[in-house]
Amino acid sequence: MTTERQHKSKVGGGTTEIMSNEALIVGGGVAGMQAAIDIANQGFKVTLLEKSSSIGGVMAQIDKTFPTLDCSACILTPRLSEVSRHPNIDLLTYSEIKSVTGETGDFRVRVHRHSRYVDESKCSGCGDCIPVCPVEVPNRFDGNLGFRKAIYTPFPQATPNVVTVDKKGEPACRATCPAEVNAQGFVTMMRHGKFDEALEIVRRSTPFPGVLGRVCISFCEAECERGMLDESISIRNLHRFLADYERAHEVAPVEANIDKKERIAVVGAGPGGISCAYQLARMGYPVTVFEKREKAGGMLRYSIPEYRLPREILDEEIQRVVDMGVKIKTGTTVKSLHDLLEKGFKAVFVATGAWESNRLGIAGEEVDGVVHAIKFLEDVNNGEKVTVGDRVVVVGGGDAAIDSARVARRLGAKEVTLVYRRSHVEIPAIPSEVEDAKAEGVKFMLLTNPVEILSSKGHITGIRCVRMRLGEPDHSGRRRPVPIPNSEFTMAVDEMIIAVGQSTDPRGLQTELECTEWGTVKADPVTLATNVPGIFVGGDVFTGPNTVVKAVGHGKHAATSIDRYIRGLDLMEGRAKDRHRVQSYEVDKSNIPVEARASMPKQGLESRKRDFSEVELGFNEARAAAEAERCLGCAVCCECERCVDACTRDAIDHHMPDEVVDLHVGAIVLATGYKLFDVAKYPQYGYGKIPNVITAMEFERLINAAGPTHGHLIRLTDGKIPNSIGFVQCVGARDVQKGVPFCSRVCCMYGIKNAVMAKEHHPDADVTVYYADIRAFGKGFEEFYEMARTRFGVNFVRGRVAEVMEGKKKNKLIVRVEDTETGDLHDVAHDLVIISPGIQPPEGLEDLAVELNMDLSEEGYVQVHDAVLTPVDTDVPGVFVAGCADGPKDIPDSVSAGSAAAMRATIILSKVDREE
Amino acid sequence: MSHDEVKQQPPINHAPSSNFAKEVEQEFYGDGIMKCIQCGMCTASCMVASMTERYRPRMLIQKILLGKREEVLSSELPWLCMTCRLCEERCQEDVNLSEIFHAVREIAAREGYIPQVFRNTINKVLEDGWLLNDAYTDFVEDDRSDLGLDPKLSWNNDFVKKIKKRYFEGVTKK
Repeated sequence: MTTERQHKSKVGGGTTEIMSNEALIVGGGVAGMQAAIDIANQGFKVTLLEKSSSIGGVMAQIDKTFPTLDCSACILTPRLSEVSRHPNIDLLTYSEIKSVTGETGDFRVRVHRHSRYVDESKCSGCGDCIPVCPVEVPNRFDGNLGFRKAIYTPFPQATPNVVTVDKKGEPACRATCPAEVNAQGFVTMMRHGKFDEALEIVRRSTPFPGVLGRVCISFCEAECERGMLDESISIRNLHRFLADYERAHEVAPVEANIDKKERIAVVGAGPGGISCAYQLARMGYPVTVFEKREKAGGMLRYSIPEYRLPREILDEEIQRVVDMGVKIKTGTTVKSLHDLLEKGFKAVFVATGAWESNRLGIAGEEVDGVVHAIKFLEDVNNGEKVTVGDRVVVVGGGDAAIDSARVARRLGAKEVTLVYRRSHVEIPAIPSEVEDAKAEGVKFMLLTNPVEILSSKGHITGIRCVRMRLGEPDHSGRRRPVPIPNSEFTMAVDEMIIAVGQSTDPRGLQTELECTEWGTVKADPVTLATNVPGIFVGGDVFTGPNTVVKAVGHGKHAATSIDRYIRGLDLMEGRAKDRHRVQSYEVDKSNIPVEARASMPKQGLESRKRDFSEVELGFNEARAAAEAERCLGCAVCCECERCVDACTRDAIDHHMPDEVVDLHVGAIVLATGYKLFDVAKYPQYGYGKIPNVITAMEFERLINAAGPTHGHLIRLTDGKIPNSIGFVQCVGARDVQKGVPFCSRVCCMYGIKNAVMAKEHHPDADVTVYYADIRAFGKGFEEFYEMARTRFGVNFVRGRVAEVMEGKKKNKLIVRVEDTETGDLHDVAHDLVIISPGIQPPEGLEDLAVELNMDLSEEGYVQVHDAVLTPVDTDVPGVFVAGCADGPKDIPDSVSAGSAAAMRATIILSKVDREE
Repeated sequence: MSHDEVKQQPPINHAPSSNFAKEVEQEFYGDGIMKCIQCGMCTASCMVASMTERYRPRMLIQKILLGKREEVLSSELPWLCMTCRLCEERCQEDVNLSEIFHAVREIAAREGYIPQVFRNTINKVLEDGWLLNDAYTDFVEDDRSDLGLDPKLSWNNDFVKKIKKRYFEGVTKK
């Protein structure tokens, strides 16, 4: 979801309409900041664009600079605040360039501003929201060593000083739930043992945590990303646990909070009707639910057997809705929908369901001993005395069929056979129910279809069936069953239960509205509005027979529509589902051990036989917490909205859209920085497999006072002080075979600096640097190298490291190297090995080059026009380069290039001024 | 710098004492030797070097680069490479060591420098038709017939005769 905004870009001096005397700096590292300050100080407006949530770049991550060993943050922080306070600098963080057109003096740049879900003008960076956030993810700023929350500032001096919500979009579980239950949210809360808060998240979407926790078909589990790795999270059982947990503990009494006047009628007290009434009551509307049966609950009560859904659970959850101020009038038949509107109800929600059993349409369906599933289940659930024959056959493969079969078994049938015309793959019932039925002794006769009911003296004696095979897929996507000729056979049965679907009552109330040929109501699929204004529809009467959770979802959506209808708002606005759904590739599943999902404890088979007590016993607290722990947290932020409650300035908005900003600038400076080589491409060094092999950037964070160990140089595996440290140089630089033939220029010096810092932290430790050449060019560099060797006693061994292995004792690392000065082959034991990776062009530079119509060098860096005479000019007039975007540089060189690029850019900008 | 000049000068400042490195470079797949920067990655990666102190691939390359022609050709070191190519896999300068050693062996063989053990092996094959004649028993015959193979191995001798005729005698005829 994006909105467009015209940036407050003033065209140069106001006289020319084409040229602009503003500048755009791409990249908020130290070079980009220098360029921005230099241009801004000459009186030109500057936009500083940064991809991450804070400016500062890599320098903010570094502990000390070389060769002076100054504190990096101490130098950088004044710069950060200078940039943020400069009246001529406009900061655009968390933004990326989408397109660039135009030419020097007249660039049109379109910027995509990612939503940080926090209003920058309101947030003061106080950080009150951070401790309440339940989501923890590896902290990228700390080289993924420590953890940060989903709402975060990367480092204490982050500029702008506002928090950012790390949210990739909508997780699969939530996107697939018809009732939009925030599964990632409540599962995350459960990981922390906050079961009450988790339940509150479920109740935002449904009044039935206990009911749906037992009978939901769980679309969420089918799409759960964890299922791509091993098995999906047991989301349904987890939210059942929440309801069980609340029952087992003290429940806070519910208070009615009805503050609105407009009365609303709901027809049908099934899951859809109750859900709608519940959501409306939450909004404060007085609701009356009309139900023609004796009790509320609809199909939940009259169709689903008690061993799946104990009635006290249903009663309690309906009572909770009544306690909220909803009136439920049972035993009341509504004569006419229009009457309700005339009686003063402002809106009506119709959810009368689909209660008519479909007929098989074969000969003999009217004989004694043939019943239809809905009637059968309704009689059983009403407590009527129902007897079944010895040999029962159930026709159909849906939940009603499975329920009927299991009920028949409980009523004493000796042999129950389920006849279904397709195979076990297409069977639409909940898989765990199918398994339970099998365990309870229900026989499955698949790929079979009854063709005739045989009877004697008006009572069923048997059925004739035909074998089927699967043909081409039909409109439902399932393979169509085709009868096999001459495969008929006869079965002897005493009773037959037909469960081949339901339909709506063809003479029902809904016929007052515009209906389809199937007797279901025609309505808008999003707003659920019918052809009569003020009447909304949902549940089975709208879709035909469907799942409980769909009906609950309809109730929720209809409640939103009714609220909008009463307030006179547009029903449709902003309701189209256009949130980005988190894709599989966006979820990092590496390094996660494969685990099976928690199994549901069940009642023993013996005790189930003649008993209607609940089969599934529910999770205990430990099992629920352990199962919740398996959640991958696909979207990062779980939208529990605890931060919204914690924020005193009302700055957090979880629905904030992304923005598109259009800029008009005269010159562009590219200061896009660099990325470090991925050292996992050298499997012989064991990075990512051997825990005490770390990269130089991780080492920087490890020795930094603001880092994950508060500046204590320890091994992360055991917290011990490393007595022997090895530095491996030239990894991902000067390697022809890895496509990085050039020298990265800075690794030798930062490697030596890190070795010196290791000695500073632990003077007694052995510190060895393995190198091929030491390139200590430049002022003070050779002296620094000498100082490292002589004053600090760092060992330098000339020889590239071939392998890093785990020692026989697991806590030691073995570095294999030839000391080329003596020709001896060594296996050196170290406690910690630090790999110094080379520098590479940043990600995304290629796309930017395409936008600017610019060529990159073979290595992927920006090509400068003339390396000697115009070292900051690119081949595109008006576009300049600074920092590491055109090749590896150290900090002083990057800053110099920043100033140089600023000067080259202002030459263009000042010409625009002169044309005034 | 011409190589004749180098030859005449005494070996000072590690200037190559012969143009042996250039000679190797001219051989098929012998190029790449000049790319070596003597970082030691090969020796540290080498399986043979981890077993014996005699064999150090980096030092052998160094000797070639330094022009120690006679020393390299007469030694058995170029013949010890197993051609596992782990050094080539890891070499950051893309030096193809096992190919270089192969090129050196080609030169050595042309000039008659073949270690005795390799001569013995080849002679044994030419003599018996195969390497393990002493190990031949009727069990082998049984195994072969079980596998549906011809139990008689005399065709080996025919084969070797053909090879001798085509390559050895044929060459001498020309």
